[in-house]
Amino acid sequence: MSDIPAQGFRRATEETKGVQVLLILGVVACMTLLLFAPLIAVFSAALADGAVAAVQSLGNADARSAIVLTLTVTAIAVPLNAAFGIAAAWAITKFEFRGKAFLITLIDLPFSVSPVVAGLCLVLLFGANSLIGGWLVAQGNPIIFALPGIVLATMFITFPFVARELIPVMIEQGKAEEEAALTLGAGGWRVFLTVTLPNIRWALLYGVLLCNARAMGEFGAVAVVSGKIRGQTATMPITIEMLYNEYLSVAAFSMAALLALLALVTLALKTALEWRYADQLAATHRH
Amino acid sequence: MHIDIDEISKEFGVTAALHPVSLAIPSGALVALLGPSGSGKTTLLRILGGLEFPTAGRVLFDGADATNLSVQDRRAGFVFQSYALFRHMTVFENIAYGLRARAKAARPSSPEIARRVTKLLDLIQLPQIGDRYPTQLSGGQRQRVALARALAIEPRMLLLDEPFGALDAKVRKELRQGLRDIHDTTGLTTVFVTHDQEEAMELADLVVVMSMGRIEQVGKPEDVRARPKTQFVREFISA
Amino acid sequence: MIKGIIHRSPMPGLRLSMGITLAMLSLIVILPIGALLSKGASFGLEGIWAVVSTERSMAALFLSFRISLFAALINLVLGVATAWVLVRYRFPGRKLLDAAVDLPFALPTAVAGIALTALYAPNGFLGAMAKEAGFKIAYTQWGILIALIFVGLPFVTRTVQPVIEEIEREVEEASATLGASRAYTLRRVILPMLTPAALTGFALALARSVGEYGSVIFIAGNIPLRTEIAPLLIVIRLEEFDYDGASAIGIAMLVISFVMLFVINGIQIWSRRRIGYV
Repeated sequence: MSDIPAQGFRRATEETKGVQVLLILGVVACMTLLLFAPLIAVFSAALADGAVAAVQSLGNADARSAIVLTLTVTAIAVPLNAAFGIAAAWAITKFEFRGKAFLITLIDLPFSVSPVVAGLCLVLLFGANSLIGGWLVAQGNPIIFALPGIVLATMFITFPFVARELIPVMIEQGKAEEEAALTLGAGGWRVFLTVTLPNIRWALLYGVLLCNARAMGEFGAVAVVSGKIRGQTATMPITIEMLYNEYLSVAAFSMAALLALLALVTLALKTALEWRYADQLAATHRH
Repeated sequence: MHIDIDEISKEFGVTAALHPVSLAIPSGALVALLGPSGSGKTTLLRILGGLEFPTAGRVLFDGADATNLSVQDRRAGFVFQSYALFRHMTVFENIAYGLRARAKAARPSSPEIARRVTKLLDLIQLPQIGDRYPTQLSGGQRQRVALARALAIEPRMLLLDEPFGALDAKVRKELRQGLRDIHDTTGLTTVFVTHDQEEAMELADLVVVMSMGRIEQVGKPEDVRARPKTQFVREFISA
Repeated sequence: MIKGIIHRSPMPGLRLSMGITLAMLSLIVILPIGALLSKGASFGLEGIWAVVSTERSMAALFLSFRISLFAALINLVLGVATAWVLVRYRFPGRKLLDAAVDLPFALPTAVAGIALTALYAPNGFLGAMAKEAGFKIAYTQWGILIALIFVGLPFVTRTVQPVIEEIEREVEEASATLGASRAYTLRRVILPMLTPAALTGFALALARSVGEYGSVIFIAGNIPLRTEIAPLLIVIRLEEFDYDGASAIGIAMLVISFVMLFVINGIQIWSRRRIGYV
């Protein structure tokens, strides 16, 4: 039996080195073509005529108004969705009631609805042809083709983000700490602010971060409800489309680069949270 | 089959899990590797099973060098502490796994596999559970299924890592006798790891007491009990 | 009535939290979707079918679904491989790659759309190389496929990754001690363990791709019957103020979404019953 060739010292739970190298190279090659190359393309197209031209293209009135509009929409939509996420997570994790699974499904629903269909729904509900919309327009407060519609569309698309981060974390943490605080005589708000909030703050930040990135970049739903009025209802992504269709490549890619930077910062912060506060995030983000 | 461990040492990075140890295990013996955690007993068992490779030294099966024999070719029936049953397979499929994994030329026919699995289910006295999934079994049943799965490959030896570790006291006693019976029926050289000196003394023909990567004493249970060789052995078996 | 539904609890804030949850859920999600559904109910199944069964609508819906399916299948393979490489192997740049996998979640779709177009158009870097080889990517169905692969990229990786991390080494070792080769272990032990998570990720990627708009329209070419996706057709109908036409296609897409959601839940229930985890 001593003539059996040595099989080397490969562990039983590993692939051969050759397989490992092939798999790594294959994955890295695909990711380079799909992820890194487009990112480089954005920045190089933005800087095609030099940095000065890129920055100048962001300085004109329409571009500035787009940036302000996007920031305004985000500043309204994200805090509202954060408040919703906290309320929903509290209701779902602190109480037992029938239909809980159904409620969670409803909250997750926007993830599986096409942004364009979401916009269509809002147009049907609030558009000038509808009952509510007609009345609102007559009052001089239109929703569709105006700021409220853009906010509603953004909220629809980003609706589940915060709740989704908080629910698993709050289930895992249980409610013993809150119950302890109650027995010590603390009132409801005090329990929430001094016990719950400190425990969920990093998960909350994580959810807000993702919600914010998606809110600033939302395109399909906003495209349907905004009416794309230059200088009024054109958000940054909408402006990118308009500039691109007018062959103003540097201007389009400069604004795209701005949003790409936002995405990169979001990824960096998100990764930092995963490394630093992994134990306080949903289990699926820990690695 | 008799096993010779010849000056085996094992280092993980800079820490030595095993200082050179040597041990002769006679054919058909039931041997306990006894020691506290960190004594190197599990590492030694895993080296026998081909799951770790020694830094230096040799393992001989029936006098032939098996040090570099791959885990697949060793045919060591290994029972893990967690049992490591395949959760997505039924008990039947778990036990048949090793036979079905063989190359086509060596693979028994389907009816033959079924016949052997049925026989093993009878041997572990659980003839009715073939269709169940591991999650539907009790701890003791899982242990016996893991044992049957290891026996299905017609192993040359049986290696068990803390086979009773995850069980409560009552089931533990029952299964000790079960392991003894299976050992006596099959006549397989059997090595099991335990930190429980009572278990080692009651079950084994030969007790190997280990500490800090060294073998402290090898002997029959009554000899180890009556004449502990070192201070460590005296304290450990009286604990 | 509430007493029968909600268990009594000393925990404060039931009315407030449940009130906010239900009010916002109704305003943002339920009422708008209800508006579309009631629109659909008003012209009935035949009315919807009359619109959906036109050549152009059918082509758009079929195109969206077919290419999404291909993209999700590619993502299934690529995602499992990526998750495996990220969890099991150590190589320089691994952490960067791990973070970058989420880029499609973070990058606005319009930005992804023009970036992929710039890259894969005939005058773009990769598009030019493809052209040399006599192959056109942007403004064809291949372009749509690439955009949808990009969009769905993180789903499978992120659902499978935690499952790979949870696999006990002992299970793989057990397989090896029973004589199974590494390939056999991967096929018969590891893959079945990953299947529920991989299918969930596949369905999520598919659901996302079918509805995707922003990253596709720039690279697609948007030629009716050939490269016009269903969401774009809705936008076109809305721009023509053909609300009925838009709604009928919208309902068809909503039904597809519901079916997928149903399938995802089904996979998870099946998996939990069968092997005790998702």
